[in-house]
Amino acid sequence: MVAKTLSSSKTSQQGEVRIAVPASQYDFERLAAVYNQARVDYIVPMPMNAKRMAEYIHNYDIDLDASVISINQAGEETGVGMLGLRDDGTQRRAWITRLGVLPERRGTKVGQFLMEMLLEHASGRRSHLIQLEVILGNAPAYQLFHKLGFVDTRELLIVRRPPSAHEANANFDAANVSQISDDEIPFYLKLRGPSASWLEETPSLLNAGSMRGLRVETSDSQRGWILFQRTPFQLTHFVISPDISSELAEALIYHVHKEYPMQDTKIENLPIDSVNWPAFQKMGYMEVFRRVEMFLTLE
Amino acid sequence: MSLIVVIEDNAQNARMAAKLLGNAGHKVMIAEDGENGLTTVFENNPDLVLIDLGLPDIDGQTVIALIRQQPALQTVPIIAFTAWPEDTAHSMAKAYGCDGVITKPINTRAFAGQVGSYLEKIPK
Repeated sequence: MVAKTLSSSKTSQQGEVRIAVPASQYDFERLAAVYNQARVDYIVPMPMNAKRMAEYIHNYDIDLDASVISINQAGEETGVGMLGLRDDGTQRRAWITRLGVLPERRGTKVGQFLMEMLLEHASGRRSHLIQLEVILGNAPAYQLFHKLGFVDTRELLIVRRPPSAHEANANFDAANVSQISDDEIPFYLKLRGPSASWLEETPSLLNAGSMRGLRVETSDSQRGWILFQRTPFQLTHFVISPDISSELAEALIYHVHKEYPMQDTKIENLPIDSVNWPAFQKMGYMEVFRRVEMFLTLE
Repeated sequence: MSLIVVIEDNAQNARMAAKLLGNAGHKVMIAEDGENGLTTVFENNPDLVLIDLGLPDIDGQTVIALIRQQPALQTVPIIAFTAWPEDTAHSMAKAYGCDGVITKPINTRAFAGQVGSYLEKIPK
């Protein structure tokens, strides 16, 4: 049971009162608990503790005042939805994420209520574009987004590579490899291609921090660079220099894993048509699941 | 009696697993996240680890990889305990060095036997 300042309320056709409370009224612990309850039986459960939730909110520019927890007339939480906001020069984009409805409240249009609130908040904050991703196969969510006007833009891959003993490759080992310093990371990020999803956009990477980088020059004088985030347990957030050969992409990935052979690696939202996907596959990456990216342009 | 560590953030699932395995004569330790799971496994050298792939702090796969990197734990049976789609769960489990997969929700009649079958494969 919660007693909170109410932001918005609506009454359904069945007479149920739905109230949207700003997520900023919750601490990270409680927010994570509501989110975990909403995703407990999800296709790919991705539970979070308070620390992980705080990092997510920071790294992906989540506006908690614009994010909502839905509660019913009895004051019980029924769902959650979050809104990220980013400015691109003169225009603002919004990103809907962490949307979930508690299992016992599904089928009562709580999801639609949450989405309507989030769209209102995005529009009220002058967003010209709203984007989101949905796990491929989550038909109820996909149909809801479609009904609200979102259109598919592309499929994104979530891929992993388990740690493995380093296997030497004489050709790649002949390359000249140098570290990219912390100070140089922003410079290289400006050189990257434009197609990153919200999770992998440059602001996400700069917010996340702990970025590392390598420059590689192969024996046949091909030059490229690779950036990645190294956390205590994982390598993630890979960025590879644009317009390079597949062989050079393989060499770049090879040298990351040569340096950190025993670190687990997870890369989220690699576009399915990424020119680097074959190179990742050759380096031992496997697809775990897919998301569909969807956009809604506002007038 | 075997020592089984259950790494599972869903308290209901963890309690159910512990009850069923306890009834089958095993000693069970529960860890509710990856960090506690690693500590529990490293300190107690269990006979078997049952691990949820979706944990709130460290991904289950990463926890499995960290367990496997310990020389003393390279052969301990690790069973992925997950609601993931079966084909994904099996391919992930295999890639990360798991010995098997038990899918949720638990089949209460078969669960202890499923876990026991992995314990029986341990060379005496």
